Amino acid sequence: MTAKTLSKENFKKFAENLVKSERTIGVKAKETKYEFGNINNADEIVMDYDVTLRSPRTFFQPPKEKLFDFKLGANTEIKPNIEADPFVLLGIHSYDLKALNQMDIIWDENNADQHYKARRNAATVIALEPTQASEWSFWGSMDSSTVDKGYDLLLTDIGNKYYVEVGTEKGANLLSKYASAEDATNDDNTARDKVRSELPNLCKADRKVKCDTDGITASMKNSYNNAIWEKLAEKCYSCGSCNLVCPTCYCFDVKDTIELDLATGQRTRKWDGCLLEPFAKVAGDENFRENRADRFRHRILRKTVYVADKLNGELACVGCGRCSSTCLPDITDPVKILNELCS
Amino acid sequence: MSKPKIAFFDFAGCEGDQLTVVNLEEALLDVLEHVEIVSFREAMKEHSDDYDIAFIEGSCTRVADEARLKDIRKNAKIVVAIGACATSGGINALKNIRPLETVRKEVYGENWKDYDTYRARGIGEVIDVDYKVYGCPMTQSEFVKVVKSLLTGTQPDIPNYPMCVDCKQAGNVCVFEKGQTCVGPITRAGCDACCVTEGATCWGCRGLVNDPNVDAHKEVLEKYNLSVDELTKRMATYFTNELPKG
Repeated sequence: MTAKTLSKENFKKFAENLVKSERTIGVKAKETKYEFGNINNADEIVMDYDVTLRSPRTFFQPPKEKLFDFKLGANTEIKPNIEADPFVLLGIHSYDLKALNQMDIIWDENNADQHYKARRNAATVIALEPTQASEWSFWGSMDSSTVDKGYDLLLTDIGNKYYVEVGTEKGANLLSKYASAEDATNDDNTARDKVRSELPNLCKADRKVKCDTDGITASMKNSYNNAIWEKLAEKCYSCGSCNLVCPTCYCFDVKDTIELDLATGQRTRKWDGCLLEPFAKVAGDENFRENRADRFRHRILRKTVYVADKLNGELACVGCGRCSSTCLPDITDPVKILNELCS
Repeated sequence: MSKPKIAFFDFAGCEGDQLTVVNLEEALLDVLEHVEIVSFREAMKEHSDDYDIAFIEGSCTRVADEARLKDIRKNAKIVVAIGACATSGGINALKNIRPLETVRKEVYGENWKDYDTYRARGIGEVIDVDYKVYGCPMTQSEFVKVVKSLLTGTQPDIPNYPMCVDCKQAGNVCVFEKGQTCVGPITRAGCDACCVTEGATCWGCRGLVNDPNVDAHKEVLEKYNLSVDELTKRMATYFTNELPKG
């Protein structure tokens, strides 16, 4: 892998060229927050954001997508629908990329999901090491400040320039096509290492998971009958906000809808969330997780035990803090829960 | 197979839901491919009591309404309540939180005794209702969804989770982050959070979600400095008949 640098001025030109020639999705302001969205003008791009409202999963698993069109009748027809126009994802933070890397494994399991894979292949990922942390961020405690894979280019702000690690040939081509980058010097390498080593400290001091991440899964396995779930869930809306903003939540619901001609229709899937009451409801009105507390516990155990099992033990919480910030009754914060259960 | 006959009826309400049907425009023509409308005062002058499906808008506010509702129930195989007034009493139910005599005097003046009116209620409190299309007014897409379900003999997929889902899917900034409050966390989703998406807040016109965590929401609203009076008003707008008593 090679390393380059881009002066801030050259980065701006790079961004302008990108926006002109490629479908570019980057971070921009949304009211008082930030969001990923289509960039039409390089001036919209925000590189020193703390966190975005939703995770970039929106671009790999859209909130709602059509899987196929169908036609009923004697000669049933099915026409698959895969929307995967090439795009550049600019400015995805390390913790979100770590989540995306996990999703690559999840969506590749068993029957690999063609919709997800097509979009993942259509993406050129320009990752960015964070320069800001939100008041809820705790990625510093979750081994998520940096990533070593999943990007085509990885940017680190080292002051007056970006250190650019080239991860793939696709990244190298993009860089040579749209930017005038220079080879990284030893000083640049040192500067990048220094910035990297200090990244975890961007998260606030009170946003630390105090236990060793390696021990979390074992502790959480023992917490199944802990009273904490009932206690916290008393205030739970079952609104699923924590699910829907999470970069490692990927559950979906599949529906068939028919047009008014009663002959043609679509199969669609949309985001679902294990906190929602109907999530585990099946035919006959049986609900496997009828109580709020059961659903509340399930999400935390997914992140720390069940999904972690699918990821060779890697925790499926990357510390972005989105669930903590979105939960109005303030019950869902993994930092508080882990510190209480794993100490 | 002959087309099912459908009829629309209105009780106390603004007729906004029937207007929503008329506003279907081209989709209405598609609907008419499959059904025969035999009564629809908002859109035609003909009337017949021979119908299979009755769509009822508005709330029951008078003793006289009860008999009419029971007649419709007797005639129809399927009864669908459309809109907030029919499903829960809607904003008409606001009168229920004040003494009835005060309300009647305020509206009808010195002749108030001539106008027989009582507690506003959703029609489900008077007759059995098979399906409900929520909202104030109901959304076109949900109405069409229910019609298609009736035509295909399937259960319509009406959400039973809070509005926060729709807001998150839409990518909205939470109104609480903007120093405002809403009742979305206890309101049934299904409108794509249209009000919040357009910059307003959620007033709960789709009614309470099943098993709403009202106590948790009261606590949150207090935390966000809503006075008890404001909180009561906010909750009463659409939830008067649905809120747990006490």
